This record gives sequence, structure tokens and C-alpha cells, in this order.
Amino acid sequence: MEAPESSGSSRSNMVQPTSWCHPANRVHRFFALLLMCFLCFGSYFCYDTPGALADNFKNDAHLNTSQFALLYSIYSWPNVVLCFIGGYLVDRYFGVRLGTVIYMTIVFIGAVIFAFGVYINAFWLMILGRFVFGIGGESLQVVVNNYVVLWFKGKELNMVFGLQLSFSRFGSTVNFWVMEPVYKWVSTYYGGYERLGVTLFLASLTCFVSLICGVILGWMDYRAEKILGRQDEQSNSEPFHLTDIRHFKSVFWLLSVICVAYYLAIFPFIALGKLFFERKFDFLPQDANNVNSMVYLLSAALSPFFGILIDKTGRNMTWVIISIVTTLCAHFMLAFTFLNPYIGVITLGISYSLLASGLWPLVALIVPENQLGTAYGICQAVQNMGLATVIILAGMIVDKYGYLMLEMFFLGCLFVSLIAAVLIYIIDSANNGVLNMSPSMRDATMTVKETDETANLLDHEDTDQEETDSRRPSESLEQSINTRDVAQEQSDRIRSRYLAQILPNSNVSERP
Amino acid sequence: MHLRSLLIVFLLSFACGQDRRITPILNPGCKNCSTTLVYIKADGSQDTVHQLWDFTRGVPTIIYVITKLNSPINITWVDEIPVDFKFAEKPLYSFAASIDKLQEYNDIENNGHIDNKSPQRELPLRHVWWKRGDHQLTEKEAMLHMRGHFDDRRQRGVLDMKLDLLPFKDYAIDLPHLIHTANSTLVDVSLINLTTSEDYNASRFAIHFVMVSTDPKSDTMTYSMRKSLDDEHTPGVFEIFEIKTPKSSRSDDGGFMQFRPVCYTEAERSVSSSTNAYITNFTRTSLPHAGTLRDFYGHFDGNNLLVQDMYISFGLPGDGFYRQHNYTSWSFTIGYGVPPVESFSLFVIIIISIGLGVPVLLATSGITYVLVRRCKQRNNPPARFTDDE
Repeated sequence: MEAPESSGSSRSNMVQPTSWCHPANRVHRFFALLLMCFLCFGSYFCYDTPGALADNFKNDAHLNTSQFALLYSIYSWPNVVLCFIGGYLVDRYFGVRLGTVIYMTIVFIGAVIFAFGVYINAFWLMILGRFVFGIGGESLQVVVNNYVVLWFKGKELNMVFGLQLSFSRFGSTVNFWVMEPVYKWVSTYYGGYERLGVTLFLASLTCFVSLICGVILGWMDYRAEKILGRQDEQSNSEPFHLTDIRHFKSVFWLLSVICVAYYLAIFPFIALGKLFFERKFDFLPQDANNVNSMVYLLSAALSPFFGILIDKTGRNMTWVIISIVTTLCAHFMLAFTFLNPYIGVITLGISYSLLASGLWPLVALIVPENQLGTAYGICQAVQNMGLATVIILAGMIVDKYGYLMLEMFFLGCLFVSLIAAVLIYIIDSANNGVLNMSPSMRDATMTVKETDETANLLDHEDTDQEETDSRRPSESLEQSINTRDVAQEQSDRIRSRYLAQILPNSNVSERP
Repeated sequence: MHLRSLLIVFLLSFACGQDRRITPILNPGCKNCSTTLVYIKADGSQDTVHQLWDFTRGVPTIIYVITKLNSPINITWVDEIPVDFKFAEKPLYSFAASIDKLQEYNDIENNGHIDNKSPQRELPLRHVWWKRGDHQLTEKEAMLHMRGHFDDRRQRGVLDMKLDLLPFKDYAIDLPHLIHTANSTLVDVSLINLTTSEDYNASRFAIHFVMVSTDPKSDTMTYSMRKSLDDEHTPGVFEIFEIKTPKSSRSDDGGFMQFRPVCYTEAERSVSSSTNAYITNFTRTSLPHAGTLRDFYGHFDGNNLLVQDMYISFGLPGDGFYRQHNYTSWSFTIGYGVPPVESFSLFVIIIISIGLGVPVLLATSGITYVLVRRCKQRNNPPARFTDDE
């Protein structure tokens, strides 16, 4: 998700114009920010419509839990691959503006097909709709991130990413609040699955609004490019090489294990949660939706703050372990007690936000910058793959073995991620790694033992180096000096990168 | 999966053993009768539980009688109908449940359950003609499958009942996987393709139960809802209802009925075809004027005979009423003693212990490892620097 960095310098050289119509004007940029937020709103809103109308889908469209869960997993399946391809296509062929409009159109078409499928009660058409919707959805996220970097790099980037994340979560939350009343209103005019179809048609209108935002934003961006004389540097950005993957350290793979295992206990739970609250805790549908939306709501509210907290305190691994343990407690409470589910879900929401803020910056500390895109791509892809398979599996577990078993499964996933986290902690401490240091300790480590620390981070380069050394002893001195210089550079970059990554990356990868 | 259930069944049967020795007899004292009355004697170590499954007079009736050991029953038959039941010794306790009618109600408000406001129509079962289906009456299992047709051309459809008694504790094969023991019988009731009233556009059906027990007349039966954490056996259903006779409420050796508030709208029972079952409050009534209940309990002391009735109704707002599938099936168990309580399965317990054990082990060992390493490093820091240089 490392978007091409364009006009930062050129824009800062401009004289600040007084007219708000000028692209460099603060008001103008914040109008663009508003459009960017609404750009994602549609896809987030429509993503969770089945979740918000879960029992209506069961009663009106007569879907069983497995079929219902397929609606979610069919969204994730294309994105096992498309996380890579979508961003690549934008960089290489479409460009940000066209890419946004294309992906948003795909999202809108997907939402309409889905609604139509429900309207005529054809399950295959619903699946097709969700599939198309998924193709657009995740890639849209990538382009919007590019937009944000393009417009706000060097200015309010972190804040904007935080705000965008909040707004996306807000989209889901609003969906959980609004769909039930809308459905009730529609059902005064229609009956059976038709009312569900009409409700979904109404929901897909949000995608249309987003599409219009995309077009306006495209025009604004075109205008800004002309006025500011911004150069399109996108063609210069390198596509990732798959061979880079071989060099990733074991800690990175353990991190991806957490990415998969932890999120498996969150998103499928939210997808199937509404009925769980209705059945186990006798909640009315609207109340069940409210509980269910707590996780999104909390993450919308807390993510920026937890980002700042971890930014100040460092010690990411401790925070990650703490949040996994509290998530375990939350699921334990939901599974084995009849305590008010708000307690469990709020705990879940808080720990989830904490984990998101602590986990994703770690990748930036482990992986060299030029491979960062691939690394995040891998994390997101395996996560999507996990979610796609598991949401189907979760549906089958509920149908066959019930919600207790489902909770057991979630607990199992969390145990796996806890084990992975503890292993990372151990490996990292054993190697005096940076992952669990406070920011001041990190700074100290970097200035005092720059080469040492960098070598630790980039051990594969070092080993390569050593091999070379042993083979060509005559050049070894020169080589080692080079290495130190490179390491110095890398180290500086790592530090600045760490700060820059905290918010954006929690945003990029939080969605299934 | 099959292995697991086999293992559980094995463990359960091993643990509980054969609680009682059951001896089922079809139409005792009237070998050539075409009607159906199954008598089951279940001998325990202290007492004998006698069960009568009676379909001879249209109204399905299940009667439990508890006596001391070796107290045989004597049934007098007239025209293929049992008219008199005599025990060698006075029964210690007895209770019965019979389904004397179906109640069709027009659920105009679409709230699922039956209430007094909705228009209703009775379908008495007095004249239902029962045909014996497959049955197995051995010492290992007593199973009887009956199909009832209404003796009325305008009222089509089948009332299907399956009764099953095993001499050990087991989960039922079909959803909602109720537990039945040597002391309790599993009963499946299905209402198949019943003709609904033309006047009603929101027809649902309810089953009317008449319950009898040899308790003081002034007492009352009670029902209670228990919530369990475990929906492993009945996915998505956490509640279980228990009806207890007064004696059962007092001392755990009375009669009980147990059911989950769920019924199914398709023959293939699954979560997606499930809908709700409701129970109404008990009302006091008296023994029916004729029928097996009257013949059996007629000579009992009236002050010591509690007769109450209630409805079980089926439906859920928005499930499309009975006509959506023209099928409703529901299960309950009826038995003597303490109602069985489901427990966490071995599988759940294993997962919890592995899940808790491994991370704790890993965390402790990891922390120890890190601490030991730190101590070592602190003790000889120069060694490391020489390594680096």
C-alpha cells in the first residue's frame, strides 16, 4: 500500500493561495477528504448488509447458515489474489483517478446484482453479486489509500488515515443501525423476499453516491494536477517481485499467523454474531445489531488513540499479547457465561483496536521498505484466505454443532495467535530485537548500535554479505564499509517509517 | 465424527450401564388384536416402571406406573379395547400424558403462539384411525411408529408418532437430540399435510395435552425453563423446558416431560427448518368422560388425582404459517425420576484443556528461557562485545 509519492515538494513550494478553490487551500483539501471518506462509505455500508439483516435473509430468502456465510466468504475469495493485482493495475495502467472510478463502478454493479438476486430470490445471482462486489471492494481500498497519500503526504497524513478508518467503521455501524428500520419501512409495501430485495436496492444507492464522489474527486484531482503542475510518477514505482518473499524472516511469518488467526476470531464472529445474541441472550433483532456493531464502533472511536498510545509507549509485542489475552477473556465470557454480552463485546472491541494499532507497525520494523508492500500484501492475502475459508466453516459449525462449538473454534484460533505472539516475544528478546522496546530504547539502540541492530533486522542481507566475504577476501574491507553505509541509511529509514506506518497500516489491513 | 459419537455412546453406556431391564409386550392379553397397546415393564433394582403406550381409542396416551418389584399388570379386553387395568399391588405413583386433540388457530397477529383471542378449531383425536408402522419390541429397544388418519374425508393428512425407549442413557439421533434414559421415552410427533380450515389464512396448529398424576387435587404441575451454555446438541437453542408433576418438584421421584422450544418444518430436521414451540399455562380440568385415561384412573381417589391440560403451539412470526411447508414435527421426552441434564462433551473439555494448557506451558517456559538468558547475559556482558568485535 505504499502509494506513489508525488507532489509533496512541488506543492510546498507554492505560495498559499487565498481562494478556497485552489487545490492547496486547506478548505479545498478537506472537501477532498470528505469525498474520500464517502468514497469508502458505500462499499463498507453494503459489505455488512447481510450481517445486519441476517435473520431476514434466513426467513425471506430461506438461506441456511452455511449459504448465508457464503455471502461473506465469496467477498473474501477474490481478494486472496486481488490485493496484489488491484494495486498493481492502478500503478501500472489505470492511474488513481480512472482506477477509483472503475473499482467503484464494479462495487456498485456488484451491489445491484446482489440486490436483484435477492429480489428474484436466485441464490446463484446473490453469490455472483457478492463476488463482483468483492472484486471492486478491496482494490477500491487500495486506490483510496493512494489518493490519501497523494493529497496529504507531508501534511495531515496520519490524522487523515485515522479519520478514514473511523469513517469506514462508521459506515458499517450506520448500516447495522439503519438497515432494520429501512427493512421494516419497505415491508409495509412489499412482502417476502421482494421486500429484502428492495431494501438492498436502497442500500446499493450508497454505492452510487460513492461513485459520484469518486467522479468529483477524479475531476478535482485532475484540476489539482494541472494547477500544481504535479507529475504523475506512478509509472516509476516497481511492481513487487515474488522472489522477495524468500528473504522474509521467521518473525514475519509468525506475524502473519497472528494476522490470520486473530482476525478469524473477530470477523466471522461479527458476521454470525447477531443470531448468537438473539438466540443465547434473547435480544431483540435491533438490540442484537447494536451489540454486534459495538466492535466496529469502538474501533472507529479508539483506533487513532491507541495508535498514539503505542506510538508513545512502544513495546508493541507486550501490547499485542495483552490484547490477545483480553480477547480470549472476552470470548470466554461470551461462551461460558450469561453475563450481559455488552461486557464481552466491548472488551472484544477494545482489544481488537489495541491489537490493530500494535500489530501492523511491526511489519514495518521487520521488513525492508522496498518489500513492505509485498509484506502487507501477504498479510492481507493470507488473512483474506483464512477469512474466506473460515466463514464457510463457521457457518457449518453453527449448523451442525452450535454456537458453543463456534466459540470453542474462536478460542482455538486465539490460542494459536497467542502462541505465535509468545514465540515472537521469545525470539525477539533472545535476539535483543527492537519489537518490544520503548521508543526511547529504540532510538538509543539505533544510535549506539546502528549496524548491529540493522544487521539483526536485515539478517539475510548480512548472510549474503558474509558468503561474499568468505569467497572474496580481498574485497572484504571495502564491502564491509559499504554495508555499514547501507545499514546506516536503512536504520534511519526504519525509524521514520515506523512512525509513519502506525495509522495507515492499521487502516489498510483491518478489513477482511 | 461417527467415531466420536460411537465413542461417546460407548462411554455413556459403559458409565450408566443398563439401568433397567426392559420387557416390551404388544397387546398383553389380546394376542390377535389389530389395535395397538404396548406395555413395557422396566425392572430396576428397587422398583419397576410400567409404561403403557395406548393407541386403541384414537387418543394417544402414555401412562407411567411405578410399583414395587414383581407386581404384574392384568389387562381386561373387550372388543379389542382394554377396559380394565389391575396391578397385583397398589401402585406407588402414576402419571400420564395424552394428546386428546389438535387445535388449529388462526394466527392473525402473526405472533406464533396460540392465545385466546385467535379463532380456533378443534380436531379431536377420538376417531383417529391408527396404523402400526415399523416397530421393535425387544429387550434392547422398545420402538413403535404409528401413523394416524382422521376418520373424516374432509380432514386429510397424517398424524405421525414415534415412541422410543432405550435401556440406557443416550442422545436422540435426530435434532433436537434430547436425552432419553431408561426412565424416559422419546416421543416424536409430526403433523403432516393436515388440511387447514378454509376460513383461516394464518393457520397454525397446537397440540392439546391432558396430564394426569396421582398428586393432591389442589396441587399443580409446573413448567420451568432452564438455559444451558451448551447448544452443542441443539445448535442455536440454549433453552430446555421441563414440566414436572408436584411430586417431581418436591422430591425428584415424580414424573417429568422435557422438550426444547423448537420444532421443524421439514422431515429433514435442520437448523434452517426450525421454528419455535411454545407452552401455555396449565389449566385444571377433569378426566375425559370416556377413554383409556378414564378407564385407568376412574377408580382412583378423586382427591388424590391431579388433572391438568395445556397446549404446545408451533410457529414463529414470519415463518409463513403451517401452509408454508405443511409439516410440523416436534419431540419431547416423558419419564420418571430426575430429568437428565446435558453436560459438556468430552470434545469440548479436551479442546479447553489443550487450549489453556499449551499457551500457559509455552508462556511459562518462554518467560523462564528469557529470564535465564538475561541473567546469563548480565553475568558476563563482556563476552558478547568480544563476539561482536
